[in-house]
Amino acid sequence: MAVKMKTSKTIRRVVKTIIIAFLAILFLVPMLWMLSSSLKTTNRVFTTPFKWIPEDIRWVNYKTVWTSKSMPMLRVFYNSLFVSVVSTIGQLVFASMAAYAFARIKFKGSNILFLFFLASMMIPTQVTIIPRFMLFQSIGLYNSYWALILPAFFGASTIFFLRQAYLSLPGELFDAAKVDGASHWLTFGRITMPLTIAPMISMLVLSFVSMWNDYLNPLIFLTRPKLFMISQAIRWYMLDEVQRYELTMAAATSSILPIVIIFLFAQKYFIEGIASSGIKG
Amino acid sequence: MNPRKRAKLKESITGYLFVAPNLLVFLVFIAFPMIAAVYLSFTEWNFLSGFSGIKWIGLANFKALKTDPRFSYAIKNTFIYAVTIVPISLGLSMWLAYVLNGDLYAKKFLRFFFFIPYISSQVALAAVFKFLFRDDGLLNTFLVNTLHIMKSYPDWLNNDSLNKIPIITLAIWTGIGYQLIIYMAALQGVPNELYEVAEIEGVSSFQRFIYITFPLITPTTFYLMIVRTIAVFKIFSSINIMTLGTSYASNTSMVMEIYRNSFVHYKFGYASAESLVLLLLVLTITFLNFFLQKKWVHY
Repeated sequence: MAVKMKTSKTIRRVVKTIIIAFLAILFLVPMLWMLSSSLKTTNRVFTTPFKWIPEDIRWVNYKTVWTSKSMPMLRVFYNSLFVSVVSTIGQLVFASMAAYAFARIKFKGSNILFLFFLASMMIPTQVTIIPRFMLFQSIGLYNSYWALILPAFFGASTIFFLRQAYLSLPGELFDAAKVDGASHWLTFGRITMPLTIAPMISMLVLSFVSMWNDYLNPLIFLTRPKLFMISQAIRWYMLDEVQRYELTMAAATSSILPIVIIFLFAQKYFIEGIASSGIKG
Repeated sequence: MNPRKRAKLKESITGYLFVAPNLLVFLVFIAFPMIAAVYLSFTEWNFLSGFSGIKWIGLANFKALKTDPRFSYAIKNTFIYAVTIVPISLGLSMWLAYVLNGDLYAKKFLRFFFFIPYISSQVALAAVFKFLFRDDGLLNTFLVNTLHIMKSYPDWLNNDSLNKIPIITLAIWTGIGYQLIIYMAALQGVPNELYEVAEIEGVSSFQRFIYITFPLITPTTFYLMIVRTIAVFKIFSSINIMTLGTSYASNTSMVMEIYRNSFVHYKFGYASAESLVLLLLVLTITFLNFFLQKKWVHY
């Protein structure tokens, strides 16, 4: 009897897994279409019946977009990587400093300042983009990566998240440091930072991904094709006079691949970063 | 100055040194532009005429907005996007989270698949959807040639009554990964004893979901509702990519109009007024949600 129940339970489990696995594959059909089309010739992309596996697999499409004369993905990747890495590191360093101040230093006006920072999360970046455009025009940052990097140094949600992490560290730790005469800089660098590596990596991957995928800011602040970032490059291939769908799809696949790889290695950090942002309710 | 006061002052100075870089960036790139946006919305200004070309016109921009057919379309469309995208994608991800949290093999691996669209470039995915929804795209081939439920090929991208559908579908699809993770985390917090009692009482799986799971995760649903509604209000990339080269009123959004008026037509004052309306709507939704929360969220 017990054995019978156990096997029926296992069968149910297997069936359920198969159904969800099927759904998962169905869910990724657009991605599979993208991958498949990126390996075809232009006139085979929209043929019926649709062939999921191209007759001759053209890896050369990738070579074309990566080394193209007018919009090489190699250069585009370098641009996007530069902007994303510099902004992310800057944001993390400055946000953790501010988070430490809000969590562990008693200073006049800290509550009001923190409130202001939090309230700023409600302002959509789209609302301030026109004045920022004027600002960059007048101080010579238009068509410069710093137009994207400098504003990214302020990350209200990163400050909030890291502050929570610092507050959850045991208070005795900080009391002990104070008794030993450690300055705030020392406490911050030697105690707080090393103990909060995991939440920092969470914020690192999340803000890297959002910079990598950004579209509106590069679209407005970078107009010279040499400076283009990844989303602009995909748009460029779409707008190209010679409609080469397979190249657009090769560019699209190239833009997604690094993010998926990062996710494979840092899945835990992604999930923790996202989950703790939402669990407050 | 006595030593205690001095120590306090020193502490304050250190505090400000720690927040200084953020405060500076905040003032220059958020606070100042915010004030400037408010000011600009009361002016008429073609950016090409330089700073001296800024002309104060009072409420004229806001009056013009009221009769601008494109902007009323943008607002109407945004509401249609919100009432379709938010409930459908929340419902789907809640169900998926419930299933993925249950008795299943390879949960983490399966969750990974549903998460990929969320972290992928929205521009890349909008490009894919544009191709999938073309009149000779995969969707039409499937509907007409495989299922035979349609005789002619619908023009999903250009037909005024259909061209919101690709945008809605894309937003639902890409949002699921994020919501799934938050829902799965929330489900971990539902006490197992409740399910055990339900099992002893012989309650069906469906009833268990309706009477136990759903009420207990309403705070999460509420949180996601706000986050997603605000995200939908800012919808831009997908529409911009799907309508490249065209410009329809039937699927435009507020940010699309702000972008078009400012960076295509250089009407900076008018576009600023539009952006203030967007801000006002976002704030209203946020506050409204907080008040409604008391009515139906079970803590």
